[in-house]
Amino acid sequence: MKNKMKFVIGSVVIVLAVIVLAVQGLQEDATMSYSKSVSEVQLLGNRAKSLSLKVNGQLKKGSIIRNNLDLDFIITEGESELQIHYIGKDPIPDTFNNEMDAEVVVSGRLADNGVFNAERIQAKCASKYEADYSSAAN
Amino acid sequence: MADLGNILLFFLFPVSVFTALAALAAGITKRRGLLEAARRGAYAAFGVTTLAVLALEYLLVTSDFSIEYVASNTNYALPMFYKIVALWAGHNGSLLLWTWIVTIFIAIVAYQNRRKNNDLMPYVLLMMAVTMVFFSVLSIFISNPFDTLYQDMGNQLQEFAVPDGRGLNPLLQHPAMVIHPPVLFIGYVGSVVPFAFAIAALITGKLGAGWIHTTRRWALTTWGFLAAGIVLGGKWAYVELGWGGYWAWDPVENASLLPWLTATAYLHSVMIQERKGMLKVWNMTLVIATYLLSIFGTFLTRSGIVSSVHAFSNSGLGPAFSVFLILSTLFSIALLLYRRKDLKPDEELQSLVSRESGFLFNNLLFLLATIAVLWGTLFPVISEIFTGDQITVGPPWFNNIMIPIGLALLLLTGVGPLLAWRHTSVETLKRSFGWPILGSFILVLVLIGFGIRDGWSLGSFAISFFVMWTIVVEFVKGARIRGRNSGENFLKAVYMLSRKNTRRYGGYIIHAAMVVMFIGFTGNAFNSETRAEVDEGDFFELGPYKFTATSIQHAQNENYSSEYLELEMTRNGKFVAQLKPEKRYYFASEQPSTEVDIYSTLREDIYAVLSGMSNDGERVIVQVYRNPFVRMVWIGTFLLVFGTLFAMLPNLRETKSASPSNGGIV
Repeated sequence: MKNKMKFVIGSVVIVLAVIVLAVQGLQEDATMSYSKSVSEVQLLGNRAKSLSLKVNGQLKKGSIIRNNLDLDFIITEGESELQIHYIGKDPIPDTFNNEMDAEVVVSGRLADNGVFNAERIQAKCASKYEADYSSAAN
Repeated sequence: MADLGNILLFFLFPVSVFTALAALAAGITKRRGLLEAARRGAYAAFGVTTLAVLALEYLLVTSDFSIEYVASNTNYALPMFYKIVALWAGHNGSLLLWTWIVTIFIAIVAYQNRRKNNDLMPYVLLMMAVTMVFFSVLSIFISNPFDTLYQDMGNQLQEFAVPDGRGLNPLLQHPAMVIHPPVLFIGYVGSVVPFAFAIAALITGKLGAGWIHTTRRWALTTWGFLAAGIVLGGKWAYVELGWGGYWAWDPVENASLLPWLTATAYLHSVMIQERKGMLKVWNMTLVIATYLLSIFGTFLTRSGIVSSVHAFSNSGLGPAFSVFLILSTLFSIALLLYRRKDLKPDEELQSLVSRESGFLFNNLLFLLATIAVLWGTLFPVISEIFTGDQITVGPPWFNNIMIPIGLALLLLTGVGPLLAWRHTSVETLKRSFGWPILGSFILVLVLIGFGIRDGWSLGSFAISFFVMWTIVVEFVKGARIRGRNSGENFLKAVYMLSRKNTRRYGGYIIHAAMVVMFIGFTGNAFNSETRAEVDEGDFFELGPYKFTATSIQHAQNENYSSEYLELEMTRNGKFVAQLKPEKRYYFASEQPSTEVDIYSTLREDIYAVLSGMSNDGERVIVQVYRNPFVRMVWIGTFLLVFGTLFAMLPNLRETKSASPSNGGIV
């Protein structure tokens, strides 16, 4: 029984350590981001500025402006628009360009001037594959 | 041909149902004839699905663009090779591939066991057939790859064909992507075999070692394929996605890791059951969890429940998968509870410092890793239920938990195998670990001397060194003793030693492979990068290297047009390599695609991406990453596959006359 106890104590220590790591990880707010759509961000008002966000919307055609290493564009959802400024380091995805209908997810923070500073851009080009034809089929 | 394919595929449904019913009846009545019928059903399922796959291949290869799947995933100009592999490029086709692999495995299992395991086989076939029924329903009724294109002609729908297809997604036009899905699917589907045997053992109450012995090779093969599939996915992301890394804790990546974690735990804990008769319920649980997580992984990729760049768009499979998963889980739990009395351990744990307890801690860590990854992956779903906000946890959260767990497991890799069963004395510990620990300590001092300060990295290198040392010592010590007795030279002795206990030494090779991979993972801590907008003649620097843009070029073929940059890489004025990052534009799919160029050495990868053009089109933006030790990850994977194959070899018998084929079980 004594040995079993030792093992149980060892296990409890390990489990607690992992729980601590999990909770501690959630405290650092850079690791947690709230998924919102463009209009939801606007509904959040000032609270939006205190959160790390993942905003999804439609890339506005022709809105991409490149200037040296800077990149600015607009994503939309219905009537709502959000101005994005890319501050990330990674190359932007292939599906992301002025000619294409792309669904975009930007991760970052809303700045005081209302511009969204994106650290990461993910673009999906769902319309090009699968979805397009199946909608015709249905 | 589409009609034929559809009919063939449709046949799979009644055949699967028949197989399941015959197997169930055979189990209840114990009549051999019924079992034989179920077995034939399994062969028939394999037959019709194979023909359906061939029919789809025919449509793909002949570019029949009246078929939605063909039109969505291929085009005339696509190279033949990619037309063939487009079978698994899209959602519907890859689901058919999944289904096909299920039928292949049920046929193999039916054949392998045609003269043995007669008590288990009805339920084994039943469980596999039920899986087959489920996937045939998905393939036939929800995601049929033989669907034709329809046009809305006012009041009626009319079939039509498009002049050319949309082509294969450029991201998928890469060799790693070609083999990644089948390899991963074999790993996923393979988990059904140990699962079916485990459930059969639970139902029949034949809970002895029989099901474990029968499925040992299946479990190991599945595990190896899963590992290779996961790494291939990472390799593909690395080469094709162009963000300089191979793992981002994306939901789909996590989905493939989950069953691998539980399968790895099982491969270890099953040894305790074989040796000590302990952990019987636990092993059952792991086998069941591996199967459920494999199904869950497929579900996650296709249901759209968690958003991911890799995921297929929402395909309407969500509800079907949820129901199947919930029912399978409840059924398995009920069975385990029903048999819990018969699964009592034969022995109790005797010492904290023993092989058994090493395995237990190993399992605990794998379990925690599984829970952590599952929790993090589903966090958006969980948080939405409880707070109304969909919250995603990023890679830092995963790293924060998984790095410590990973290193603890790596440490156990070195310690565990040297611990004796039952109890290990302090004296033995000192003898086994004294030198390796001292060696690691010196290594840490040397690394600090070289300016490495990051604690996790130092820990990782130290543990890697320690584990590698213990593994090498195991081979050397064993071979010396053997050599002394038999007079064989050292290399021959190493070979004979390993061949005589392939499972043990194959395991060591796999452990060594993990060490090599961990060195690769640790390299991530030292990544650096730079970005520059350059014109011909411009240069920039990264670390000790100088990059000069020698020319910006344009080229074109029938599949795509491309822009590329010729980048000369020098170190101290000496030429090192010429890099050619490229941006392609595929005509058929109207998709741009970034082709990275990588100068790879054992020490580091120099990874160049052409990330765009300046607005005036005169200059290009180029991004260069310097990633140390990435190659170790790929090398480790080869070693891992080798170790897995080695562990499956039958043990060599000392007497030449003995048949080697029946020495497989240790």
